[in-house]
Amino acid sequence: MDSEVLFLFLQQGIASGIVSGSVYALLALAIVMIFKTSEVPNFAQGEVFMVAAYAALFLIVFYGLPMWVVIPAALLFTVAGMMLFEAGILRRVKKALGEPVNLVIATLGLSFLLRGLVRQTGLGDTPRSFPSLVSTDPVQIGQAMLTRLDLAIVGTAVAVMAAVFLLFNFTRAGRAMRALGMNPKAAALVGIDIRRTHAFVWGLSGLVSAISALLIAPKILMTPEMGHVAILAFAAAIVGGFNSLPGAVLGGFIIGIAENLVGLFVSASAIVVTPFLAIMAVLVLRPQGLLGGRPQMRKV
Amino acid sequence: MPPQQAVAALPARASSNLRLGLLVPAVAAVVALALLPVFTSGYVVYVANVLLVYVVLSLGLNLVIGEAGQFSLSHAAFYGIGIYAAALGNKLLGLPLVGCLLLAGVVAALLGGVIGTIALRMRDIYLALTTFAFGEAMQWLFLNWEPVTGGPNGLRIPPSSLFGVEILNDKQAYPVVLGVALLMLGATVVISRSRLGRAFRAVRESDVAAMAMGIPVRRVKIMAFLLSAFYAGVAGGLFATFSTYIHPESLGFQTTMTVLTMVVVGGLGSTGGALLGAVVFGLISELLRQAPAVQEMTYGLILILFMMFVPRGLAPAVSRWVRGRGHV
Amino acid sequence: MIEVENLTLRFGGLVAVNDLSLVVRPRTIHALIGPNGAGKSTTFNCISRLYRPTSGRIRVLGRDVSGLRPQDLAPLGVARTFQNLELFGGLSVLENVLIGAHVHCGGGLRERLAARPPAVIGHVEHLLERVGLAEFRHAQASALDFGRQKMLELARALAIRPRILLLDEPAAGLRNREIGALDRLLNELVERDGLTVLLVEHVMQLVMAISHRVTVMNFGARIAEGTPAEVRRDPLVVEAYLGQEAAHA
Repeated sequence: MDSEVLFLFLQQGIASGIVSGSVYALLALAIVMIFKTSEVPNFAQGEVFMVAAYAALFLIVFYGLPMWVVIPAALLFTVAGMMLFEAGILRRVKKALGEPVNLVIATLGLSFLLRGLVRQTGLGDTPRSFPSLVSTDPVQIGQAMLTRLDLAIVGTAVAVMAAVFLLFNFTRAGRAMRALGMNPKAAALVGIDIRRTHAFVWGLSGLVSAISALLIAPKILMTPEMGHVAILAFAAAIVGGFNSLPGAVLGGFIIGIAENLVGLFVSASAIVVTPFLAIMAVLVLRPQGLLGGRPQMRKV
Repeated sequence: MPPQQAVAALPARASSNLRLGLLVPAVAAVVALALLPVFTSGYVVYVANVLLVYVVLSLGLNLVIGEAGQFSLSHAAFYGIGIYAAALGNKLLGLPLVGCLLLAGVVAALLGGVIGTIALRMRDIYLALTTFAFGEAMQWLFLNWEPVTGGPNGLRIPPSSLFGVEILNDKQAYPVVLGVALLMLGATVVISRSRLGRAFRAVRESDVAAMAMGIPVRRVKIMAFLLSAFYAGVAGGLFATFSTYIHPESLGFQTTMTVLTMVVVGGLGSTGGALLGAVVFGLISELLRQAPAVQEMTYGLILILFMMFVPRGLAPAVSRWVRGRGHV
Repeated sequence: MIEVENLTLRFGGLVAVNDLSLVVRPRTIHALIGPNGAGKSTTFNCISRLYRPTSGRIRVLGRDVSGLRPQDLAPLGVARTFQNLELFGGLSVLENVLIGAHVHCGGGLRERLAARPPAVIGHVEHLLERVGLAEFRHAQASALDFGRQKMLELARALAIRPRILLLDEPAAGLRNREIGALDRLLNELVERDGLTVLLVEHVMQLVMAISHRVTVMNFGARIAEGTPAEVRRDPLVVEAYLGQEAAHA
């Protein structure tokens, strides 16, 4: 491969990688905010993402509603669903035995339930595409070709990330969430409503997942298996350090770019193993992730 | 009830006097199982073979998740490795059945040891994610390494042979499958009661305390991982003895989840539970095979409802019932 | 038996243990006391290798421990208990103590496979009798009341057949009657069985009654050492404790 083509591929890979990476970063953010506050890796995050997209599609296909109704409705639906799962199911699981394994299994159960439900509606029988709000006219950046939709995706994703950071760092709710993540008992002592904060985090995580779903939906073919992207988000979270929100964002972009470069330089079918290789590389070289703090020894 | 009695009445997970009471029904069950092919059709024997493979898979997954408390989500990958290793051992090396089964178990165990060693550098959560990713990567390998696995077209397995006799159908394979499954069950009971089994449970309950007792925690975790992969590999080898064809589609996360559901429904950390879960849930999943959506919803609902209301699974409830009956 | 020389441990900017030196003599009960956050448990965790000291040396039974992992101490004959109980809660009382005997049932294959290893089962049963838990052997450990859980942890540690016993607040949360029993048991272990005990404790009643020697820590450093009577009179000690009382009020 001569250097000119190499350089072109590199530019295209990075540009496309930033687009898909921004979506992975959002989803990773949604995963990490839950993990930070409740120590549960939500294995259903990908299916929540999928359901959000299908909820929007359902409203369009069956009721022909306009987008300005569909989008808020789908977001609200996802937020409510996540809060309901946390308050109605997880809380009960925690009370029943409360081992981390049990919580993880409950989220695995949710992922299967959601996928089965969507399959049952028949909407997923044929792969569908989601209408795009923004035109897919090409835009050239350097030598890389993107579309206007791509730019809109990155723009929205970055805005959402910024909003999450502001929320976490400068609001009362954000302080409550951080306190909960550091020390639940102390948080309760200083008067933070633990239950409400948990529900809030799950709701927020649902919101962020739903936004990422609606962003990427016009670019991909929707199937009930689309929740599979969550593995990329999990890889992103591990690369970034599983308890770091900025790490999740960084990891998302790294995975997005790595995946696109592998697709361009190796083969399209090798993309699937990228997250596994990234996870392995991080575990061997820097187990706590790029921005993760050193894991603390449990106090005895 | 005074507090002292209340404490004494609370049984711990393992109970030895229960085993004696179960011995007679167990022997009867083995005899009935051995005679199964005489009385029933080929399909029933096929289902029995499948269930026995599930039993071996569940026993293995229970060792690592239930006994040692380490979350492994790549069971289907080790199962797949076992299937391919047995099939290729038979096809390319002409190994006899026992050789194929051993090869399947050993190859899977070696890989399990390597993955475990890497993944156990971090806490449980990372173990779950790494093994999940490993499972996905292995399925990709099964689908894409065409010269070896046949890729998406699958691989035709020649009939295996035992003492020079070729195994051509489910009924012929059944005694082998049953025998090996019983052997694995026996081994599980022995391991669970042994020093290693106690070390597994110690690590599950508190790794800091386990260390203080002189237990090499990391080595024990890797051992659990390796053993569990061995079981999955042998299960794969068994599958290869009564199947003529492997398809990599069936070696993904869905299969890991099916086995996990069995272990959870039966009761994590209980050998009897893994057995019970594999049989009960194996039948359900066989019944729902034609309706994938319903199957998925059922798995999901069962997992959620069990975690909410029966977090310890069926085994403790059943043993309570058996004990209760004994008192009358 | 235990020699700590110039031990220092920093967590980030916080100095948890500051240049601590300490010698525990054979067949004595040595108490480590001091206000909350004085660095007692941290010192303990350095000795049992859960924490790595920033600097300083620790020798146990004449052997430098710096190259050892936490699981290497039990085979040497060093056992410990934990401040906030670290029992194998889901397992039976008997199994907890059997796991304590882990290093003694690794002989032959039969020993390794046995549910009740012949080499240790007698000792384990004896220990259960000794701490008064024999009748609870099949109960689940987490279902015991607090005092019995503490005794179970002690029995589990004794199953190691230790020469050195590290006890992290063994009397905390116990009732007076239970403290009396613990007092007798510890004395017996030292006088009859020849063990050496290092204990961190808040319950002064126990410390003053059984210790041969007391080291007082505050802010990570040693502020006094001597017999219980000497320490009680030491003005620095009085101030450290009074200061804390005042802060609590």
